[in-house]
Amino acid sequence: MIVRLALLAALVLVSSLARAEPYLAVQQGLKCGACHVNPTGGGMRNTFGEIWGQTQLPAKRIDTGDPWTGEISRFLAIGGNFRASATATDVPHEDRTNSFDTDEMRVYLDFRAIPDRLSVYVDQQLAPGGSENREAYGRLWFDNQRFYVKAGQMFLPYGLRLQDDTAFIRQVPGINFTTPDHGVEAGLELANWSAQLAVSNGTGGGAEVDPGKQYSLRVEHIQSVWRLGASFNFNDAAAGKRQMQNVFAGVRTGPIAWLGEVDYILDDSFEPRRKQAIGLLEANWLIMKGNNLKLTAEYFDPDREVAEDQQTRYSLVWEYTPLQFVQLRVGYRNYDGIPQNDLQNRRVVFAQINGYF
Amino acid sequence: MRDIVRRAALRVALAASGVICICSCAGNGEGLDENGRPTGGSSTQLTPTLASIQDNVFTPICTQCHAGAAAPLGFRLDESSAYAMLVNAPSVEAPSLVRVQPGNPDSSYLIQKLEGTAAVGGQMPLGQPPLPPATIAVIRQWIANGALQQMTAPGVVPMQIHAIVPAEQAALVPERGEVLLQAEGELNVASVSSATVTLMRSGGDGGFTEGNEVAVQPIRIEVRSLTPTVLAIRPADGSWVADRYRLTISGQGAARMMDHEGMQVGDFSVEFTVAGAP
Repeated sequence: MIVRLALLAALVLVSSLARAEPYLAVQQGLKCGACHVNPTGGGMRNTFGEIWGQTQLPAKRIDTGDPWTGEISRFLAIGGNFRASATATDVPHEDRTNSFDTDEMRVYLDFRAIPDRLSVYVDQQLAPGGSENREAYGRLWFDNQRFYVKAGQMFLPYGLRLQDDTAFIRQVPGINFTTPDHGVEAGLELANWSAQLAVSNGTGGGAEVDPGKQYSLRVEHIQSVWRLGASFNFNDAAAGKRQMQNVFAGVRTGPIAWLGEVDYILDDSFEPRRKQAIGLLEANWLIMKGNNLKLTAEYFDPDREVAEDQQTRYSLVWEYTPLQFVQLRVGYRNYDGIPQNDLQNRRVVFAQINGYF
Repeated sequence: MRDIVRRAALRVALAASGVICICSCAGNGEGLDENGRPTGGSSTQLTPTLASIQDNVFTPICTQCHAGAAAPLGFRLDESSAYAMLVNAPSVEAPSLVRVQPGNPDSSYLIQKLEGTAAVGGQMPLGQPPLPPATIAVIRQWIANGALQQMTAPGVVPMQIHAIVPAEQAALVPERGEVLLQAEGELNVASVSSATVTLMRSGGDGGFTEGNEVAVQPIRIEVRSLTPTVLAIRPADGSWVADRYRLTISGQGAARMMDHEGMQVGDFSVEFTVAGAP
């Protein structure tokens, strides 16, 4: 109890912090691992993240006594995310479609065989469709939690880990929340530095089919107001070698948290080799507690050698967190691409509910 | 001082956003086909043929993710891989189902994923609007028609055979161990046998010139498509010995593989490694 009170007091002093988006880390000047069990962010929240998500993120907190921390015991913690949405899509020359969707129901489990030292982590997607494992790995910390090693199935470290897998910087590189890979990852966590190196099969979670491996390196320097990082990924695959690199950054200017990333990809799985470029700029305006307005501009050039094939996407999303554990998102996305491809010119309006615990 | 830094950062951020908004205009598509590739500008209507489905669905939509080294679950739908990766190929998510079962769209995992009825995972294309029912109906029709491959016109050059799994110099996974080959056209089934297909292993030294090579016999050769273009080959008992292997198909001599017109196919050979086999 004393520990919890101390933690709550610390949280109040630290001001606000939140859920699982990189902009929240930029807003608060913290590393992803401050709120997540996983040092590279995403997935299960740690005790700090859980309490912050209940006390500082929502516009209002309903007092339920002791906050939920996810900890069943010293050795076991659980968490989860649920997302459901209503979406209207306008594709040129086609009838508008409207649908309700269960986007995801995921549960996280962290079995701490030796607390703060050795644990086994599982991220299981239960919906839509049947159960599907996303992450399952063992993690061992060294040297007072400055170094760690993970082994198993995991999401790879690369660039900004946005929640939105349809963003160009998530979809095109193919490193996102739907494509874990089997391998090992070593990480370094210092006060202002975060770095990861992963070696994996490079098959997008499928069985290994060739002797080549995928290498992912991500380095980030974090200050309270800004951060700057770079990633490199090389997949030595029989289907074609692929090299990706990016730089990404975040800066806070008053109530606005900015995110930016630029990627350049060399892909030999196409004949001839394709050079691709991607860009993202996102502004997150904290209007008031529990209300965030997100404006995103994205750019994708699928082949630098081909003129007039570029695509853009602009999004405006309002995120409202009325109470702890519940977030509502209402948004509009405008895709713009070559006129020959209707899908590249669609418009999407959506409302989404996100439950997190 | 802090205010100055903050204002400067704000200006930089606003300038950057302005630059990206100005610079990031979509292409006007001039001189490109619907897939964004240079072309004469011809547009094809969707019909129940693999070539049409490839041009209208697989390439413009599916290969945004399912292509190249980063293809999720190693499932590629680019033009050179799609047929072999689909027809009678077991699904990774639901191994009891094949992705496309010729003649049976309801039992084809591809259709279940497109219609959102699959037991595992989300509806495809993920993060995009579902394919229109009319489009899925065309894919269903292609499967109902036997999931035929688009044939290349026969020419004077012998028909070639390509390895889909494993790729050249790649390793084979013992647990899912089969060699998957695709011919450019229809094969003469009568010529597909252990007389024309030879599987050797190096005998442990990785080479095939020392004289200690071991012929793997018997082997199981499965024709995977209604029109015989895809072959799946493995030891008859399904067990692989950890070693270096060479698979050879002869298009010459008395025992030669032929295409459906009785013409010899091009000689084919692929080497691969099976590591860690029991």
